[in-house]
Amino acid sequence: MPESGIETPTADSLRSWLIDCVATHLERPADTIDTSLPLSEYGLDSLYVLAVAAELEDHLDISLDPTVMWDTPTIDALSEALVQELARSA
Amino acid sequence: MTTASPHTTAPDKELTRLLHELSAPGLAFSDQVLAALDEQEAFPADAIRELDAFGLPRYYVPAEHGGALDDFGTIVRLLRAVSRVDLTVAAAHGKTYLGAVSTWIAGEPGQAARLARHIREGAVVSCALTERHHGSDLLAGEVTAQPVAEGNGGWRLTGEKWLINNVTRADQVTVLARTDPAGGPRGFSLFLVDKSRLAPGALNHLPKVPTYGIRGADISGIVFRDAVLPADALIGEPGQGVEIILKALHVTRTGCVGMSLGAGDRALELAARFMTQASSQGRRPAELPCVRREMGEAVAALLLAESLGMVAARSVHALTGEMSVVSAVAKAHVPAQVDGLIARLLQLLGPYGLLDADPHRRFAKLERDHRIIGIFDGSSFVNRNALIEQFPRLARSYRKGRWDEEGLAEATDPRAPLRPFRPQELRLISGTGASVVASLPAAVAQVHDLAGSSASHRLVDLAERLRGATDRLHEAMAAVRFSPRAVPGHAFELAERFELCFAAASALHLWLRGPAVTDEARLRGCLVKALTDLDEPVDEADREDLDALADALLSAPPGTVPSLLDSWEGTTR
Ligand SMILES: Cc1cc2nc3c(=O)[nH]c(=O)nc-3n(C[C@H](O)[C@H](O)[C@H](O)COP(=O)(O)OP(=O)(O)OC[C@H]3O[C@@H](n4cnc5c(N)ncnc54)[C@H](O)[C@@H]3O)c2cc1C
Repeated sequence: MPESGIETPTADSLRSWLIDCVATHLERPADTIDTSLPLSEYGLDSLYVLAVAAELEDHLDISLDPTVMWDTPTIDALSEALVQELARSA
Repeated sequence: MTTASPHTTAPDKELTRLLHELSAPGLAFSDQVLAALDEQEAFPADAIRELDAFGLPRYYVPAEHGGALDDFGTIVRLLRAVSRVDLTVAAAHGKTYLGAVSTWIAGEPGQAARLARHIREGAVVSCALTERHHGSDLLAGEVTAQPVAEGNGGWRLTGEKWLINNVTRADQVTVLARTDPAGGPRGFSLFLVDKSRLAPGALNHLPKVPTYGIRGADISGIVFRDAVLPADALIGEPGQGVEIILKALHVTRTGCVGMSLGAGDRALELAARFMTQASSQGRRPAELPCVRREMGEAVAALLLAESLGMVAARSVHALTGEMSVVSAVAKAHVPAQVDGLIARLLQLLGPYGLLDADPHRRFAKLERDHRIIGIFDGSSFVNRNALIEQFPRLARSYRKGRWDEEGLAEATDPRAPLRPFRPQELRLISGTGASVVASLPAAVAQVHDLAGSSASHRLVDLAERLRGATDRLHEAMAAVRFSPRAVPGHAFELAERFELCFAAASALHLWLRGPAVTDEARLRGCLVKALTDLDEPVDEADREDLDALADALLSAPPGTVPSLLDSWEGTTR
């Protein structure tokens, strides 16, 4: 995963970063990830998915409550929530 | 609210004195009485009553709720003091703290105040997560709670919790129940069930389960049948159950360390007592070099575990956000280390033990009793799994040299005032990694600076080797990749090594921040033990440090065991 945060993340850029991230974890092609499905549908269980929150924190260089992964369980919802979080913490 | 200075009479000292008095023949804490209860699988009710009379329950209640708990280390030391005498009693009494933590963390102030009052008045609180077919996997739970349509929003609880410590004796039970039929991490909620407020017939107790160790404990089950709970039984918000309990486990897993350390004290004490008695040939086993070496290694193992335990307990306050790592390290390492220590000493005692059945039997009970510590409240495997999930973050923080300096200083200096524990700072995964380990290279550099003055060249060399092993470990941790539910086996070995590095780093930090008089030999012993367990090359000169520790144990006054605490507060007993 890239070391530093991207310039101004948008819902779209976050969505594609998340797709790549999840695809890497699942070892499957990015175009098979449906962003409207809960990540648990892909077998990303509730503890594993917290590690994705850690990667997001490092990627965006912000501090997140990892349970954001539980409260917004799809890539679509998560991207929107992150944009709002970034706007708040900016 | 800061910690009492170590110079005021610590409650664990007081308790230890009391337990000593109560261990006279025929009294509640005597070996004979406790062994007989164990044989009959009978509950140690008298011993529990003595602990109540001492006022132990007030240390289960945080100061802000009117209790005496303002330093988590106090709980660890108190549990250690009881466990040194008997683990069944410690598990049976200490369980109330485990049962209450969720309410301290997430309960409404009124709810916490009520529970606090009950506990101070002697109520027993239990914590029911496990079910007959589901243990470690909390999300598989089948006990359900549904909102009651009528009235002012209570809950209807149904199902069975089984293999629960104290659940039959309990007045109150913290219960994890499914509140969303679909389940998932937001599909469960926690309830504090007050048995006295349930309608008759709403609950049934299941018979005591015979166990390998802690045979007298009340390990049983409970069945709820449409038990209607008042709305204020809910702890936190609906759907927060898993989050709250995982955070509560960060605290209770750290507390379990006290039980293992107490068992370790007891093991060393019994072994030392026997080894210094003359055998029939008039020779004391302790004079044999191989016995001395083995005893020395056992002391080093306990000092290492104690270093980790001390830092972990202080971390509850000082590095709260890192407890997902710290508690997993502590709960995985300390019980396993003490199990290993007991097993090796048991083997050592073997032939001699035959000449005198008594210490051997006490030792065998200790071995049986202690086995449970590595299983309940999250097994070593479960905790190692939790560490592995955090490997990428841990490896990254180490590589970048990122840590919380202020929190670290507070966690590793037993004389520093402790900030109050703020449960809202607990996080399911550590934001900063592990400060204790990430700062190891800096600590080793500090030891270098002390070379020739307060640090011997041998210490510098050991610290340097620890650093090398820790560097290599983090490279291996960074390379671990796995897809969900497919954690590779070798990652568990890496987790075990990480625990050793954490424990050794704890010992080093404590020494660096310690009073000038702190004994370097103890630190060297810890490092030699850690390097040995890390499979690093360790030569004869290194191992001689272990002999010095054996001498410290074998020449100690009867009933005492060398402790790191010695250098901080005089002798522990
Ligand atoms: C004396 C005693 C007292 C107890 N007290 C209580 C209590 O008060 N409250 C309560 O709720 N429960 C209590 N328990 C239950 C205890 O917590 C469970 O037995 C424990 O959680 C394991 O669950 P399980 O037996 O279903 O085994 P499983 O969860 O099925 O595990 C089986 C094995 O797999 C391993 N394992 C599980 N998950 C993983 C993983 N992710 N990675 C690697 N290995 C894994 C386990 O370590 C174990 O070796 C008690 C048990 C005993 C024996």
